[in-house]
Amino acid sequence: MRPDLRPLLADALLGLADDEMILAHRDSEWTGHAPILEEDIAFANIALDEMGHAGIWYRLVAELRGEEPDTYPDRLVFHRAPDEFRCIRMVELPKGDWAFTIVRQFLFDSAEIVRLQALGQSHHPPLAKAAAKIAIEERYHDRHLRAWVRRLGLGTEESHGKMQAALDQLWPYTGQLFEPPSSEGELVAAGSFPASEAMAAAWVEGAAATLADAGLRTQAGQPGINGGRLQHTEHLEPLLAELQSVARLEPQASW
Amino acid sequence: MTDTQWPRYEVFVQERPGRPHQHAGSVHAPDPEMALLNARDVFVRRPECAGLWVAPATAVHGGSAEELPQLLAAPRSQGGSPSNEYLVFAKLEERGTLTHVGEVRAAGREAALAAAQEAAGNRPPLALWVIPAERVERSLPEEAASMFDPSRHKPFRNQAFYHIQTALQRLRRDPSLIANRQSPEARR
Repeated sequence: MRPDLRPLLADALLGLADDEMILAHRDSEWTGHAPILEEDIAFANIALDEMGHAGIWYRLVAELRGEEPDTYPDRLVFHRAPDEFRCIRMVELPKGDWAFTIVRQFLFDSAEIVRLQALGQSHHPPLAKAAAKIAIEERYHDRHLRAWVRRLGLGTEESHGKMQAALDQLWPYTGQLFEPPSSEGELVAAGSFPASEAMAAAWVEGAAATLADAGLRTQAGQPGINGGRLQHTEHLEPLLAELQSVARLEPQASW
Repeated sequence: MTDTQWPRYEVFVQERPGRPHQHAGSVHAPDPEMALLNARDVFVRRPECAGLWVAPATAVHGGSAEELPQLLAAPRSQGGSPSNEYLVFAKLEERGTLTHVGEVRAAGREAALAAAQEAAGNRPPLALWVIPAERVERSLPEEAASMFDPSRHKPFRNQAFYHIQTALQRLRRDPSLIANRQSPEARR
């Protein structure tokens, strides 16, 4: 690919990597606390999968930036300051209750499937290959999440109420799911990265339909972005303090 | 105390295409689809898997060689169609597990168990189960890629893979490496 596009694509992928990493950490907070043993195992698997996807994107970032793919991802995760992270704000929010967790994971994973499908067409072959690999796992996440969304949405008055409350709280954050990278125009023109607007439209239609089938109402229209990927909630800093605490005890340690 | 658990489902794993499904254990779930998903996450994260079946524990009829004579002597339920299909699972070796060995058609679960026992001939199983075919929820071939393929590519690493012990030895030799550092919380 054109050398001048490499740093632009790296920046775009760093956002996706950070989304997965921070969400994986939030998901991992359920380990040992999920509603039942089977789901505890299932959700820990999902957390691990998301962390693995983050690893794939971080390696691509390393390659695009000419860094060492084995060590650079750890540097990015464990030794960056909160204001250097590019994750969307939805993934930073505290884990909340089980309904909140299910709704957030559904919104995120359903968006990811749309994005992976588009990324699979990227003219940057390593990116297209990575997207195809991740998509296989995401199809299973999607099935798992839809199953929960349907059962809790159509379950009892209490479960429905908690799901609707979670959706009402999370929906305003979904505008960021397809926030265009700053250099989207050039990347799209070169065929390296898909156009965000089309993905957002495809996603919102599909997600709203699934939620409606589960008896859940989405607010009309898609919310705006309200500030870029460098603006964070107050929840990111304490999350990173915990996530980075061990690595920062001994920065030179090899793991 | 009342049982607040979800119903139990028995799980059968097919390790490779063409191999019989074998009993792997059980999961709790509110319904068959969730049972299938839970079975995937509990039993096939690491090992290879080509197909999964789950069946409600209450749909299983049968037991160990010691229990079979009494079960086979029990009165048979009436009124079922003799063409009802039952899946037969038999444990044939001490070290083996209940394995899918075929199907029988019978009017009820007692008759199905008797037919399965008879089909075993002169090799009486150590344990024998029959399950109505319609109660078995099965993973679909087209789902296999997303349900089972990812686990093939996940390395399983035991503890020795990580260099934690060498790091610990270094810290034991020179405890000041820890003492001089503060946690991120303490710095704030």
